[in-house]
Amino acid sequence: MAQCTRKSALLEELEAAWAIAKKDIKIYYLKAPTLMFAILFPFAMFFAFAVGREMPVATLVPGLVSITVFFSASSIGPSALPLERRIKAYDRLVCAPISPYTVMVGKVLSGAIFGLVIGSIILAACLPVFGLQIISLPGLLLGLILASFCFSMLGIMLAMFPRENPGDVMLLLNFIRLPLIFISGIFIKIEMLPYWGQVASAFSPLTYANDLMRLALEGASAFDPLLSAALLISFSAAFLYIGRRIDLKFRE
Amino acid sequence: MPSAVELSGLTKRYGEIVAVDHISFEVKEGEIFGFLGPNGAGKTTTISMLTGLVTPTEGTAKIFGHDIRKEAKEAKRCVGIVWEESNVYPELSALENLNFAGEIYHVVKRQREAKALELLEKFGLSERKDGKVGGFSKGMKRRIAISMALINSPRLLFLDEPTAGLDVQSNIVIREAVKEENRKGTTVFLTTHNIEEANQMCHRIAIINHGKIIAIDRPENLRRTIKSAQSVQVSFEEDAETGEAELGKIPSVRRVIKEGHRFRLFTEDPPAALEGIWDYARSHGIRILEINTLGPTLEDVFINLTGTAQAGAGGRS
Repeated sequence: MAQCTRKSALLEELEAAWAIAKKDIKIYYLKAPTLMFAILFPFAMFFAFAVGREMPVATLVPGLVSITVFFSASSIGPSALPLERRIKAYDRLVCAPISPYTVMVGKVLSGAIFGLVIGSIILAACLPVFGLQIISLPGLLLGLILASFCFSMLGIMLAMFPRENPGDVMLLLNFIRLPLIFISGIFIKIEMLPYWGQVASAFSPLTYANDLMRLALEGASAFDPLLSAALLISFSAAFLYIGRRIDLKFRE
Repeated sequence: MPSAVELSGLTKRYGEIVAVDHISFEVKEGEIFGFLGPNGAGKTTTISMLTGLVTPTEGTAKIFGHDIRKEAKEAKRCVGIVWEESNVYPELSALENLNFAGEIYHVVKRQREAKALELLEKFGLSERKDGKVGGFSKGMKRRIAISMALINSPRLLFLDEPTAGLDVQSNIVIREAVKEENRKGTTVFLTTHNIEEANQMCHRIAIINHGKIIAIDRPENLRRTIKSAQSVQVSFEEDAETGEAELGKIPSVRRVIKEGHRFRLFTEDPPAALEGIWDYARSHGIRILEINTLGPTLEDVFINLTGTAQAGAGGRS
């Protein structure tokens, strides 16, 4: 009969979040939409806009790593959630005795780990090829980890719209992602942007992720790294909150 | 007997549309409770509210005394749900699906692993435990979905059309498993279009139409409510020239329909109708081959109450 054996509530939620993340890792990492939007897309963007321009390698590599993390971490949620809605597997998560935030955190974890792994592979490959060194390890860790979580949360927030086709959410996500890469100092330095562009860049989490990457690989940053870290955490919290509000809105 | 489910004035509105309109009833612990209604009557919305998928607009619902809104986690903790669609993960193996369900229901690892193997054995899927569920038949996927719902040994099992579209063998396996769970004490809340299934399995049945509960009782009591659906079924020797019109003239017979080579004569007084049929046969020199009295079926009750013809046969009494 009923199992009411209780662990601590927090431990239960953490275990459930990890179970959701593990399941997503097994299922969605090698799906075609994930691979296309998470890996091919940032490379295509990078080669289209960066290669052939008179930019130093040390400036290009942080940008490549940033947009790879940006695209890969934010792609898992929009690939996974609509597919789970289509087969009603998402209902199973909503009806389970876990917090709605736990479901979101589980989903965020799988996206963040994906972004972290793909970003690290790209970085590890670029370092010897371009003869670069890691100048600030704390900057690199902060940048990779916080950016992965923040961008994954952005994807989950948009995936909270109750769509059953991954393409619908990806379309919405790209509507946000594509403009952000042009105003966040990836291909054009922020100080070279027009005034409105510089103002807009302050509202892009990619600006702060890229700045931390620049600190890690160039040793220079436009913002205080602690401010960048705090802002990435704030963006993540805001995306989590808005995502939950979207979910609630469509459950009314 | 304590209540497993208790609804009070539960309502769901979508703008101007009232999908569920102030419904109140209770499901007693240990019973199999059938929830019937035509398409769009409010069944799925009711289950969606009870399981936390949809937020009620008004009213309250409790599961084992836990308010579904204020104590959602406690209410959900002792519930298992089988949806109309087998919402299993096709990319995972049977065992991985069950383990995942156990993890999100907080079943401890050792218990979860033992229970998963036990359920796979019970549903005849042990040999396929490591096979990807995507390659399973519809019936096997449904058995996995039911196993996932049972992994936390729930006190209350919600079943939404558990046997819809399945082969006979899977139907039998699933019905027997549900009855067995009920014998062990699990309360079952069953939504089905299959009226005969509800008739066979349920201790009590509620019928919902246009978002309102229009009847709630034991199946036999519901059948008794419509005397007009009592009938006499008769077949005559092959060369007898008999028609509905002539049989319809027998006193007490209200309506006659032809069912294959048989006639079904609806009456509120079966003994009088029987006498009338014998008199008719004697006076016309016709031999009766077969004659039966039929009580109203649950399907008759359903049609009478909802005005909707349903597929899925009725029973004879």
